[in-house]
Amino acid sequence: MDFKDYYAVLGVSESASPEEIKKSYRKLARKYHPDVSKEGNADEKFKDLGEAYEVLKDPEKRGEYDQLRKYGAQADGSFQPPPGWHSESGFGGGGYTDADSRQFSDFFEQMFGGGQGPGRGAGGGFRQNVRMRGEDVRARLPLFLEEVFNGTEKQVSFAVHEADKQGRIVARQKTLKVKIPAGMREGQHLRLKGQGAPGIGGGAPGDLLVEVELAPHPLFSVEGRDVVVTVPVAPWEAALGATITVPTVGSKVNVKVPKGTSSGRKLRLKGKGLPGKHPGDQIVILQIAIPEQHSAEAEKLYKQLAEAEKAFNPRSKLHL
Amino acid sequence: MSDNNSILTVEVMDSDGSTFTLHEVCERGECHAEFVIKLVSYGIIAPVEPTVEARQWLFDVAALARLHKARRLQRDLKMNLPGLAMSLELLDEVQDMRREVDRLSRQLQQLTREW
Repeated sequence: MDFKDYYAVLGVSESASPEEIKKSYRKLARKYHPDVSKEGNADEKFKDLGEAYEVLKDPEKRGEYDQLRKYGAQADGSFQPPPGWHSESGFGGGGYTDADSRQFSDFFEQMFGGGQGPGRGAGGGFRQNVRMRGEDVRARLPLFLEEVFNGTEKQVSFAVHEADKQGRIVARQKTLKVKIPAGMREGQHLRLKGQGAPGIGGGAPGDLLVEVELAPHPLFSVEGRDVVVTVPVAPWEAALGATITVPTVGSKVNVKVPKGTSSGRKLRLKGKGLPGKHPGDQIVILQIAIPEQHSAEAEKLYKQLAEAEKAFNPRSKLHL
Repeated sequence: MSDNNSILTVEVMDSDGSTFTLHEVCERGECHAEFVIKLVSYGIIAPVEPTVEARQWLFDVAALARLHKARRLQRDLKMNLPGLAMSLELLDEVQDMRREVDRLSRQLQQLTREW
């Protein structure tokens, strides 16, 4: 078991006043709230914060924790409580707390979990009488664009809180194989009925709600139902018009570049976007590319061109 | 674990798909109907057809997800309803902008790439 430095988690000194601790907790809680933060480990950080604050805001728990802290972590960072350690302030005594202690670490459990009765968070003697639907569980599922196009089968892993034989609430890791239909969009939800947390007292199990995320693609980006791709063309293709091959997701298609195309011109390929009842389009953004080096012959031709097109001022709108 | 072996087919939830009654969203959001009614009156979530009376309200999955989010923010950050309404709107805006920035910077990268 690792020692948890609650002062470090809250970014306060050992001598911090209750007011400083509260202030720091509130600030960090806003910063790392999983619904607010974009950091990947926000969930973990927010849990640690809640746990640290639960201990440090309570003078009794804080006192006990300070004692343990002096007793200290071992050289390898692991920690064992002193022999005969027993918390007077813990959750085991049945004291009221508004914190969701199921989320807390082993370290917390060892320090402040009572180890008596049916354990924390399980609702004790009420359990026989209460009938409750299990919690809905949320998970995120990143998909590649190709998978979104064709549909796919994916493994989804998530944690479910459920009561063990002793009635203690424990987290169980679950993995499901899921068939994802084609045409999902970023932010859309999938529901797996009854795959959430089990119900209590015969209540129905909750659902698993999976939110789809789209992994960035090196070539294509997605706007709503449309797929956008930038395609380079040679100056002469842009000037004279041409038929070019452009990539689509998983395939390619021939496209006519109109005569006299400028960089940034958009072509719309109907129905080549995300599949579905109302399929999106593919937007091709044309971009004029110039060879890094021209041959002497080409330079001569460009000079002729410059002479022939003297009247053209590409910067006419810049009021120079 | 037997869960591993079978392949489950999912139900895709979008606005023209599954809906939940007021009772169902309360059960799933672990909250009272009064709370949901308040969220609706503050414009934080909206039933599919807002004109009908509360007993007949139906909510789509986006509204349910938002209710969950509102519950978490209220519980964890001790927010009141006007604060919740504003935070959720700002968070939506931030999320849209982050996506837009990602998309545009990728597009820009493509435009400035050496071919």
